[in-house]
Amino acid sequence: MNILNRIQGILSPLGHDISFAGAYLIETIIALVFAVTVVAGMVYFFRKYMARVQNRIGPNRVGKFGVLQVMADGLKLMQKESIFPDGRDDLPYKIAPIIVFLGLILAFIIVPYSNLYWFGSLTVTHSNVGIILIFAILAIMPIGEIFAGISSNNKYAMLGALRAVAKDISFEVPMMLSILAIIMIASMNTSQPLNLQNIVSVQNIPFGILEPIGLFIFFISMIARASYSPFDMGESDSELVTGDTTEYGGLRFGLFYMGLFGTIFLGSMLVSVLYLGGGSGPYESSLGFIWFLIKTIVLVVISLTVWLSMPRVRIDKFVNFGWKILLPLSFINLIITGIIVLGGIA
Amino acid sequence: METTKPLNKYVELNMGPQHPSTHGVLRLRLLLDGETVKKVEPVIGYLHRNAEKICELDYYCDSLLYFDRMDYVNSLSMEAGYLEAAEKLLGIEPPERAKWIRTIMAELSRIASHLVWAGAYGLDLGMLTPFFYVFDLREQLLNIFTEASGSRLLTNYMSIGGVYQDFNDKIVYMIKDFIKTFPKKLEEVFNLFVKNDIFISRTKGIGVLEKDIAISYGVTGPMLRGSGVEYDVRKAEPYLMYDKVNFDIPVSYTKDCLGRFLVRYEEMRQSIKIVKQALDKIPDGPYFNPKAKKSLMIRLRGEGEAYGRTESSKGEFGVYIVGDGTVKPYRVRVRSPTFKNLSVLRELGKDVMIADLVAISGSIDLVFGEVDR
Repeated sequence: MNILNRIQGILSPLGHDISFAGAYLIETIIALVFAVTVVAGMVYFFRKYMARVQNRIGPNRVGKFGVLQVMADGLKLMQKESIFPDGRDDLPYKIAPIIVFLGLILAFIIVPYSNLYWFGSLTVTHSNVGIILIFAILAIMPIGEIFAGISSNNKYAMLGALRAVAKDISFEVPMMLSILAIIMIASMNTSQPLNLQNIVSVQNIPFGILEPIGLFIFFISMIARASYSPFDMGESDSELVTGDTTEYGGLRFGLFYMGLFGTIFLGSMLVSVLYLGGGSGPYESSLGFIWFLIKTIVLVVISLTVWLSMPRVRIDKFVNFGWKILLPLSFINLIITGIIVLGGIA
Repeated sequence: METTKPLNKYVELNMGPQHPSTHGVLRLRLLLDGETVKKVEPVIGYLHRNAEKICELDYYCDSLLYFDRMDYVNSLSMEAGYLEAAEKLLGIEPPERAKWIRTIMAELSRIASHLVWAGAYGLDLGMLTPFFYVFDLREQLLNIFTEASGSRLLTNYMSIGGVYQDFNDKIVYMIKDFIKTFPKKLEEVFNLFVKNDIFISRTKGIGVLEKDIAISYGVTGPMLRGSGVEYDVRKAEPYLMYDKVNFDIPVSYTKDCLGRFLVRYEEMRQSIKIVKQALDKIPDGPYFNPKAKKSLMIRLRGEGEAYGRTESSKGEFGVYIVGDGTVKPYRVRVRSPTFKNLSVLRELGKDVMIADLVAISGSIDLVFGEVDR
């Protein structure tokens, strides 16, 4: 029994097809609301955690412990005048933040959320190619960054976009190779290794223990994907003002900002799904979602700590790192995985 | 500039004066080939406030205010620099206790300045956290300045013939407390930098400033010592009480940004050493020369010319005053160390990446109140 069936049961007087469609729609909306809530929560948590790390207090004026600060900031951003740069390429300039944000929250629909008590499985999409789907959606976000950088007719933004592209191509190949290793190892125990639920369910031993190199590569790739320090070359706020988002203000800037924090959370979710067993843990059938959240939040804290304590890597050094260290490592990881898989079959 | 491409193939980028890492109002005109900077041209003058000219319109004692506002993170050293020249011209010798007090305050001010620099340098390289740690450390110093002068930043503490008020027990206690706890905390903060591989890779071998170039541009201070020249006005031509205390001049032979960073770090520890000795040696006695007491201060007349040079946290700070026998100086001219240090950026900023240019311009320790005056 999963949440989809329960909603469909409530809607069943409408007929079979309509009730299924309605149930999918409602569940998608729930997932999207979850995504937006998580992003807002991430912003608040980040600000509080950053303040704690930096010996400050952080937001504490709006609402109890400043919990409404995010809403106040959001309202402020909405009220701000939209200032458009001259000579912009209008359509890409306007849709760039939407692409980034949409790409982010669409990915939230595919993540396997595991089970929660009465609700059953919370997962929205039971796709047999979920892992390909989620990385296809993640590949949409850089398009937004590139649009933003190129269309806003600003040299800083242009340089930021160029850096973002250089960064993206240097980490995405090792990232996809490490995912290939995951699929290989998952295929030992399941006939559908591209299904994210199956990847979670076959992790009796978390893949992070079987493939520490893969975990390392994937975690670094997720930092680079979310683009925060030490790999925030797209923004480089001390060199390129704010890189590709330089010319954005108001709500459009807010969308980029939410995209950043959402990607941190999404990256942590993916690491916990692919390498730490997602929702598996004691009482998996009723508390899976809680385990999943705990693993994710621990990873978020690690990510934020990395963010707050590291200076920025120079872009050429990161490209070197990607092609000369991460790529060979990911091949080594692939070979080791192949040996494990062959050994398992033999 | 050697170009392989015609000039119009390069991208011209205007960096500043409103830019997060130009430390105030530096404007850099860059010629870029992709990410590589082919040419850099600093443009200054956005914070020009006519300080030297205003000094000509004021009494000798009043001009001190404008020196506070030159290097505003290191105002006590600026005051010491002005008084070095002004007292020479006016023929007023401050009592020994006042000199010791000035030495202590100038050294504490040097620490405050270097702390701000280290935090801002972290920000330049994309490190958020150390900034807050160093400002926390600096807060203790500002409390000492407040207790002594009533003001946090623009202290106006020293005056012609002595200092504004004597050290009381509380100030001495605060300073002792500070020097007891500071070195350990400083080490913690600096470990955040120097134990970080990314920080090392961003600074090591970046912005190498050769000794002869540095000397030919008139570079002084930690920039020069970072290039391997052991020159410090405090040793070369001791003023105040620096000849009576024992301290070392840190020198780095790596000539790069990391060397300058470590020189400043060691300088802070040497300053603590100086303050410690000064607190032991400070004698009792008057803190003010009665020749320059308040009611007589605006009637002080200076004739002739005087040049006083001191070592501020940025380098050699020189003040040249010409008096024409009236109560106001005829001409005041400042040799600003940061101005000279900034001019070498043209040499350092050739064929580096933008990210390195930010690291290099950060390592100069720019304070625009002093460059533009």
